[in-house]
Amino acid sequence: MGYRRAEASQLGGKRLSRREMLRRTAMTGALAGAVPLLAACDQPEDTGAASGGSSGATAAGGLFPDTPEYNFVFINHVTTNPFFVPTQYGIEDAEALLGTTHQWTGSEAADVQEMVDSLNTAISGGADGIAVAVVDPQAFNDPMQEAIDGGIPVVSYNADGEGLGTNPRLAYIGQDLFGSGVEMGNRIVELVGEGPVVLFIATPGQLNIQPRIDGAVQAIKDSGANIEFEQITTGAELPEELSKIESYYNGNKDVKGMFAVDAGSTQGVAQTMEKFGLAEQGVKAGGYDLLPMTLELIDAGHMDFTIDQQPYLQGFYPVFQMFLYKLSGGLSGPAETNTGLLFVTKENVAGYLENASRFEGDSEEQKIIEPAS
Amino acid sequence: MAKPAVSGGVTSTDNVRQQPGIGAHLTEILLQRREASIFFVAVALAVYFQSSNSAFLSQGNVRTLSEFTAATAIISAGLVMLLICGEIDLSVGQTFGFAPIVMYIADQTLILPVAIVIGLVAAAIVGLVNGLVTVYLRVPSFIATLGMLFLLGGLNVTLTDGFPKPTPEDSFVTNALGAADWTGIGWCIVIIFLMHILLNYTPWGLHTFATGGNIVGASEAGVKVARIKIGNFMLCAMLGGFAGLLEAFRISSIDPLAGGPNTMFLAVAAAVIGGTALAGGVGTILGAFLGTAVISILTNGFTLQGVSAYTFNIILGIAILVAMSLNVYIGRLRRSGAT
Repeated sequence: MGYRRAEASQLGGKRLSRREMLRRTAMTGALAGAVPLLAACDQPEDTGAASGGSSGATAAGGLFPDTPEYNFVFINHVTTNPFFVPTQYGIEDAEALLGTTHQWTGSEAADVQEMVDSLNTAISGGADGIAVAVVDPQAFNDPMQEAIDGGIPVVSYNADGEGLGTNPRLAYIGQDLFGSGVEMGNRIVELVGEGPVVLFIATPGQLNIQPRIDGAVQAIKDSGANIEFEQITTGAELPEELSKIESYYNGNKDVKGMFAVDAGSTQGVAQTMEKFGLAEQGVKAGGYDLLPMTLELIDAGHMDFTIDQQPYLQGFYPVFQMFLYKLSGGLSGPAETNTGLLFVTKENVAGYLENASRFEGDSEEQKIIEPAS
Repeated sequence: MAKPAVSGGVTSTDNVRQQPGIGAHLTEILLQRREASIFFVAVALAVYFQSSNSAFLSQGNVRTLSEFTAATAIISAGLVMLLICGEIDLSVGQTFGFAPIVMYIADQTLILPVAIVIGLVAAAIVGLVNGLVTVYLRVPSFIATLGMLFLLGGLNVTLTDGFPKPTPEDSFVTNALGAADWTGIGWCIVIIFLMHILLNYTPWGLHTFATGGNIVGASEAGVKVARIKIGNFMLCAMLGGFAGLLEAFRISSIDPLAGGPNTMFLAVAAAVIGGTALAGGVGTILGAFLGTAVISILTNGFTLQGVSAYTFNIILGIAILVAMSLNVYIGRLRRSGAT
């Protein structure tokens, strides 16, 4: 009754000549032929494939001996997010110094399964070192342990699960997320003093932002200040975040401070502050990360601060740490590295606005940057 | 493959029929069996990746490859049943995330096997609702299941407070359901086999083809088309939920953002690459499995080669387009051979 069977049986009724068959089936080989070409397109001159790890010795700078061209795999949760552009510049700059290569892979949309698959592939592909953004408290533990047992150094960067001791990484290179939240909380107490305050978070539970809001809440509570706070979820996309924040303000006009713990919500807070002219009314605001709009609105006086977690260093240092681990046979290398907590305010924002750089990801040009006057 | 079918100069089709050589035989299989062309593509890709990186067929990587394949192939098998009916379930990626979450909540008060059954029942209810809305309210399944996609996406985040949950302690049950190595692909093979039997050797399968091929005719011939469609919606959702459980146990985390549209689109792509028609009436379970294998080999192979994220989707996209064009081309040969 199905078409499928009817079709197949009809075909049996007629055979094709040999020439016809060869001509028609030749196409089938084309895919296999096309694949190597496609793959070749991807290889920039200066970076090899994962498999090419031990192909040629390259000289690292300085007095280091010739080393194989180590290949370090970075597993990321949002591979195409602009936040990580400086991280990738950091990786490239470090590997230019050390003669290593890298692969930037993982998931575009924080799909943990996809990330675990990439991690497993890196292990079976014989990566020389693996850096993982540990955005799930459990999922990465087994494969990370497997890699370490197999002699592959594994570090975490940008996100570290539930923190020190909860996953098997050798070291974490990134912001002390909870600590930065505490600093933010202290700043909120200092700026606002007392009254209702709102904290915005894009996606609660995501382990690269949740600890910040926890830290801020902790600091506000510990201060004993008379601040009532609310935590509001804004969502993962910029337009959605902005409209959530605006509608929150429209419903809560007595708010004394609006703060956010992720890049998108921070920009949303800044734009809402500008739209309603809230800075002039004494409302305080602040957040995280360096989206261009956020920086401009800080410069224009609409927002009090944003926190720079130095994403460039989150690529640069892992490469060095994994290289030293390989070079020293595990005797040196992985060390906890706090990539910092830099408050960007009206006083120092000029340096960010005047200079497009690899460190902020808005320029790929290699140059020496003069401090802003 | 290159071996001449018959001695030179003989072009009569009758002669070919009398003395088929290996080449002609293979070609014949390639053209007759819907799955054969995609199988050939899968083998060619595997040969290519193995020749360019010897780690490709190492035990560790074959395990990874099987993990890539298992869940998507199971979902894809469910989607094939629906696609043959001329329907689609866009929410199956969210059901994939939903079942483990329901299981987690049930596991707080009940024993694990019961919790797992409740997770699967929840998935079946999702399928039932999709089916009822499509069949009786006559909302096109594209829209009905799109609504379900958002609904479940929101529920998944709400029920978990947006925070990933740990899977239950390792036990025989969790190990059997994905936590132990190779169990995922084991389940996948069993399910593909059973679904293949269901589709090709039972009245249910026959009626499924009939419903998608000619719904009026089928209905007049006494096929209960509403029941077939609703049943297949439930089957698809349960397979999606089961795949979600396997994956959750495998990575020992129940992620509120697991699955989603990406998982669903991969499964649809796998079904279509394997020779199932989006328009209904035509489809194969084995083809869906092979389609998934092709996508998995491409994904895993390119990752293994060190292709970085920016270029990855460009290459994967082109590869899927090329693979699909070839498949459609061979499909056309199949049809023209029949005229």
